[in-house]
Amino acid sequence: MSAVLLTRLKISDLTALTALDAARGLLPEGIAIARIVREELYLFEPEPGAAAAAFEAPLANAIESSNFFVNPNKERYRFLRAAERGDSLEPPDGAWGILARPRGETRDEGLLVRLGREHPLAGLGAIRRARLWWLWTKGPGGDPAARSSYEALGPVSGTRRGLLVNPHAEASLTIERAVPWRELEAFLADPAPAYRAA
Amino acid sequence: MARVAVLQIPGVNCEYESVRALEAVGIEAAIVRFNEPASVLSEFDAYLLPGGFAFQDRIRAGAVAAKLPAVERIARESESGKPVVGICNGAQVLVEAGLVPGLRPGRVEAALAPNRAPRRPGYLCRWIRVRAGEGPGRGTFTSALAAGEVVPLPIAHGEGRFETADPDVRAAIEGEGLALLRYVAADGAPARAYPDDPNGSMLQAAGLTNRAGNVLALMPHPERAAQLKHVPLDWPGPWGDRRRAAAGRFDALEGPGPGRFLFESLARRLGAAVPSGAIR
Repeated sequence: MSAVLLTRLKISDLTALTALDAARGLLPEGIAIARIVREELYLFEPEPGAAAAAFEAPLANAIESSNFFVNPNKERYRFLRAAERGDSLEPPDGAWGILARPRGETRDEGLLVRLGREHPLAGLGAIRRARLWWLWTKGPGGDPAARSSYEALGPVSGTRRGLLVNPHAEASLTIERAVPWRELEAFLADPAPAYRAA
Repeated sequence: MARVAVLQIPGVNCEYESVRALEAVGIEAAIVRFNEPASVLSEFDAYLLPGGFAFQDRIRAGAVAAKLPAVERIARESESGKPVVGICNGAQVLVEAGLVPGLRPGRVEAALAPNRAPRRPGYLCRWIRVRAGEGPGRGTFTSALAAGEVVPLPIAHGEGRFETADPDVRAAIEGEGLALLRYVAADGAPARAYPDDPNGSMLQAAGLTNRAGNVLALMPHPERAAQLKHVPLDWPGPWGDRRRAAAGRFDALEGPGPGRFLFESLARRLGAAVPSGAIR
């Protein structure tokens, strides 16, 4: 089991605001979008045979007391220890999400090396990274219209279809309800699923 | 006189040197703001999307700009055969807009993914070498190059790796010669690894065209190599020799550089009278 760090800007996120503006021009008639939030996800995997508990306390201290992962002047974060993270990742109230990862390697070797240099953490095997987009959409019936919105704003398939993910470089997963961490870990650790043209 | 529109999107930063390189080969170039009426674009014979960071590369490089009405208009104009070239960030816009490789119109079939080079993540700024192939874009974009000529050019990008997840698209790109310009080693052999191959691009592609050969997405910056003075003094090979020989001679330094081929080829295609000698 991995420890998880989720970071987001607490100052205005201009990328999310730009995405919101672009999204309004792409959604089908009848679907409104009120907000987009962008989060960076870090998954801290223990070395084989080790447990996340071995490095969680010093990692929490590194996150809290240095600017390595989080600049407290402009970012906020959630650090979820393996034993305390719960079974699933749940979307915020009223939102649904898109988790996007590179098609290739999700492990950030450079980050791991830099972290080891500044904050040596025994037992930490790998850091995987992905991006989370949380979207607050509403269909004509008041439902989130997640499926239609995903088609309009998720993987780019045409010039007027898709925005947040380019499927030729990234794979994505929708998070419409609580998704087990195990499933998310597998999504990040396994090879990206083969591309299928829509 | 042939007229080329250089599209100015918020965040691009190469529009003025692009205009200068176009004017040097006898083309009338005009900067057109992204929010001018898109119909203005129809008055031009060709289009150049310059390098930079359109919309600060928010979401993904080129992703937001690709949805602009101006880009949609350029896409429509390209259907009649008008040439379109995107340089660096402009290339990212063309790929995100589905103009390149453009096998199925209206579909996005590729990406410019983050560079992939051992121990060199992120943005990369250096000179590389390319060689043109015999694809459908040769007549419009590389006719000024001799067969097999190796051309040094600067690159400056973090997301320059042409990639497609669709095996059919990759096969078409390879089979039809759509990777018009490819990274090579000093001897012209295909680039096998960094530094000859700067980003891990599929097929060592530095520039990709559409099937009709009138749209080119090019990651290196020929406008930053349009004059001899742009070539680094320590660059090896013939272009470096020319550069060193010109040291201290203003007129020679103002003369054509290795990147001029793109603009000269375009000028020929547009029927412009290409002046020889100094760039201005």
